Amino acid sequence: MTATRTHKAPSTQTGRLRANGWALRVLERYALVLLIIIMIIIFSTDPASSRVFLSAPNINSILANQSVTGILSLAMLVTLVAGFFDLSAAAVTGVASVIVASFTGAHVGNPVLAVAIAICVGAAIGALTGFLIAKVRLDSFIITLGLYILLGGVLVWYTQGQTLPTGSSFSDISSIKIFGIPSPFILLIIVGILVWLFLQHTPFGRYLEAIGSNSNAARLVGINVDRIVWLSFILSGALAALAGCLLASRNGGGDATTGSSYLFPAFAALFLGATAIRPGRFNVWGTIIGVFFLAIAVSGLTLIGASTWVQPVFNGASLVLAVILSTFAARARSRRVVRPADTKS
Amino acid sequence: MQKTEGGAVSRLPVDRLQSSLSIRGLTKTYPGTRALDHIDLNFAAGRIHAVVGGNGSGKSTLIKILAGVLRADTGALTIGTDEFDLSGFDAASSRNAGVRVVHQDLGVFPILSVAENIALGSGYPTTALGLVGWRSLRKRAATVLDSFQIDVDPGTPMQSLRLAVQTRIAIARALQSQDNASSKVLVLDEPTAALPTHEANELLGTLRGFADMGLTIIYVSHRLDEILDHTDDASVIRDGSLVGTETTPSWTEEKLISAMIGKAPIARKPRAQTQMNRGNLLEIRGLETGPLKHLDLTVAKGEIVGIAGLTGSGRSSLLRTIFGVTKPAGGQISFDGQKIHANSPERAANRGIAMVPENRAVEAAFADLPIRDNLLITRLPEFAPPGRILRAGLIEKEASALVARFAIKAVSTASTLSTLSGGNQQKVIMARWLSREPKLLLLDEPTQGVDINSRNEIHEQIREAVNGGAAAIVVSSDFDELALLADRVLVIRGGHVRAELAEQDLTVERITQLATFDEQSGTRK
Ligand SMILES: Nc1ncnc2c1ncn2[C@@H]1O[C@H](COP(=O)(O)OP(=O)(O)OP(=O)(O)O)[C@@H](O)[C@H]1O
Ligand SMILES: [Mg+2]
Repeated sequence: MTATRTHKAPSTQTGRLRANGWALRVLERYALVLLIIIMIIIFSTDPASSRVFLSAPNINSILANQSVTGILSLAMLVTLVAGFFDLSAAAVTGVASVIVASFTGAHVGNPVLAVAIAICVGAAIGALTGFLIAKVRLDSFIITLGLYILLGGVLVWYTQGQTLPTGSSFSDISSIKIFGIPSPFILLIIVGILVWLFLQHTPFGRYLEAIGSNSNAARLVGINVDRIVWLSFILSGALAALAGCLLASRNGGGDATTGSSYLFPAFAALFLGATAIRPGRFNVWGTIIGVFFLAIAVSGLTLIGASTWVQPVFNGASLVLAVILSTFAARARSRRVVRPADTKS
Repeated sequence: MQKTEGGAVSRLPVDRLQSSLSIRGLTKTYPGTRALDHIDLNFAAGRIHAVVGGNGSGKSTLIKILAGVLRADTGALTIGTDEFDLSGFDAASSRNAGVRVVHQDLGVFPILSVAENIALGSGYPTTALGLVGWRSLRKRAATVLDSFQIDVDPGTPMQSLRLAVQTRIAIARALQSQDNASSKVLVLDEPTAALPTHEANELLGTLRGFADMGLTIIYVSHRLDEILDHTDDASVIRDGSLVGTETTPSWTEEKLISAMIGKAPIARKPRAQTQMNRGNLLEIRGLETGPLKHLDLTVAKGEIVGIAGLTGSGRSSLLRTIFGVTKPAGGQISFDGQKIHANSPERAANRGIAMVPENRAVEAAFADLPIRDNLLITRLPEFAPPGRILRAGLIEKEASALVARFAIKAVSTASTLSTLSGGNQQKVIMARWLSREPKLLLLDEPTQGVDINSRNEIHEQIREAVNGGAAAIVVSSDFDELALLADRVLVIRGGHVRAELAEQDLTVERITQLATFDEQSGTRK
């Protein structure tokens, strides 16, 4: 038997299918953004919430408050791209907030110096964690969980359960508005751009992603995996400390527990973010969108007067739903019919 | 499970009339690629039917659809008298229909025992408490091994066995009868890709036995000599379309290749003597590493040295030690006139050494990253001026140039590596290292899964690099490749270099004879 080639692909149909695929991909990438827009429309038309929801103070407080979560998420993103969970980052945020508070408050120090010290301490903790994980090769989940608990305890001892106030000049910094935009949000966007450039557009960032994809292969292409993972933990610690400085300024003080409480919101934002912009991957803009998705929902639900249990249920459900949606979109995309092979060989 | 009486024959409840297989109008599309385009194929019972085609022609796609792992867009399947719609054909339907598949990577678990590997195909027996019944597990495995005439202890860890034996166990696992489904069709995707010729022949002998029992065998391979010598029918696919099906005796190597590439093949170039004596590049004295006990090796610039040996003879250990992946237990390595003290893959790469490892999936591929990242990961600093970000335009330009130069079949350099066919992934890894213009190339099975035409092209690229003053050490289980490519071949056995072949001595027969000597006298390693 000799078969013959039967080439027939009605071009109009393929054209339509291509357009569908394109729409599907856009939907997949921007589904979360779309949901944010829908929520904004609902909350700003619902009589119970509309007045306050769209008011400048509410918008400003969402933008400013979420910048701490945002920067912390970005800190965790840096190591997560390489495949390492860093639970201790949130504890570092707490440590930094207490350091800044004790240097600008009672001792009336220079705020710039205080921030510099906090960031150095954050980087140093990151260096220690990174050393244990990259060089000694201990499990990142266990090490950072241990550190999270340990640092929390140290802070309770140091603060004696009290809130240490920052100097008022320090807390004023985060209330400044530039062109009407709260300064913490501007800081978040600057950090976001820098982290994005770093991860996407420097060799170092590409190495991190290669390590996350296949660390064995990364080693065998000559990447110094240990060093790069270590450095990523240092950077992550420094960024987490920056989030802590902002936190202290926003709250006018530092205490033992607030920083740590950001752990789960930051994780939720990271995982939500992995369903948007670059679906299937942890990424900067997806993460920031994830942060605000959750914040807007919380604010709106509170204004509507939803009971306290509604928020966690909403947050959990949206995380699960986002993952389901993006997974289905990805599957639909891989089934989609396109023009026959137009290859380069 | 059925009782066994005697050999493998009684194990297989095959009905000759029921086991022929035919495919009608099979089409499968991926984003940007039509992988299979209206394929019609008939496979007769009791025959070994080869499916041949260049890299990315759609062979694995065809097999995955038959296995029910992938859904076709359209297509109908008939097995014996049963009809199936291929767009809704899932793994369970495939099993029930009597299709047994051995995928290219075998799907064995190296650290588990043979018994467990077999149980993973049929389910673990459990005790009354719901725990694994280890004794009956072993007994069941022993029965299966026995009936397939595989002489190993069920408790042996899989990784300690030769690849040929592992392949036979994978086949036994696929064919062991369970439930009441009987095996009708056995499908194998490149089972011999990493096997030396004589082990491949051993495997093909086993397959012939199954065919004689009435099983339909669908066989994918890039080794044309194997296909011409051992199969009954051969079909060629090119770019997802069927080019032709004939009985094997009516094919010749030239006919197969021209059907595969759609034009007359370029004559296979004989081994051109490369210019040597440009000084030594690599000197190894008394190296002890892995199974190697004392190895001396000198490689000159402009030279291609082949390493032959069996699985486990230490061929890969040698390359891995030179590249700094493994620390040697003793001995000395000098590169470019300098003794190597501290070594690591990073240092080795900076010295101008390149290594293409044996196990692509585990050690070389960034499956979920774009093709361009996979190609240029080792060269990124070139594209970022100090203190500046990467120049995306330059990266794209260089990646496209490499895709064209190495004839990689890809929709775009932004697609992930996992969307490429096996052979094309291998080309990406070769391109990754060759484009760095290394001084020393360490190549472990460099053309595994690469079609014959592309293999010649890759050989050409290696020769070009070497003629430019580099050197290469090539490990290959395909002795034909060694004879074709290397200037001289070292045969490693029992931890030592047993022979060095060059010039007229350098033939496939001599390599095979020397590499497998021990085995013929009953022992191994
Ligand atoms: N998951 C995927 N997404 C997109 N395209 C794919 C995917 N898998 C395979 N392809 C494309 O389908 C075509 C056929 O691939 P297939 O793996 O069947 O080739 P093959 O004949 O087995 O090649 P090889 O000899 O290299 O193993 C190729 O062009 C490949 O790039
Ligand atoms: Mg294949």
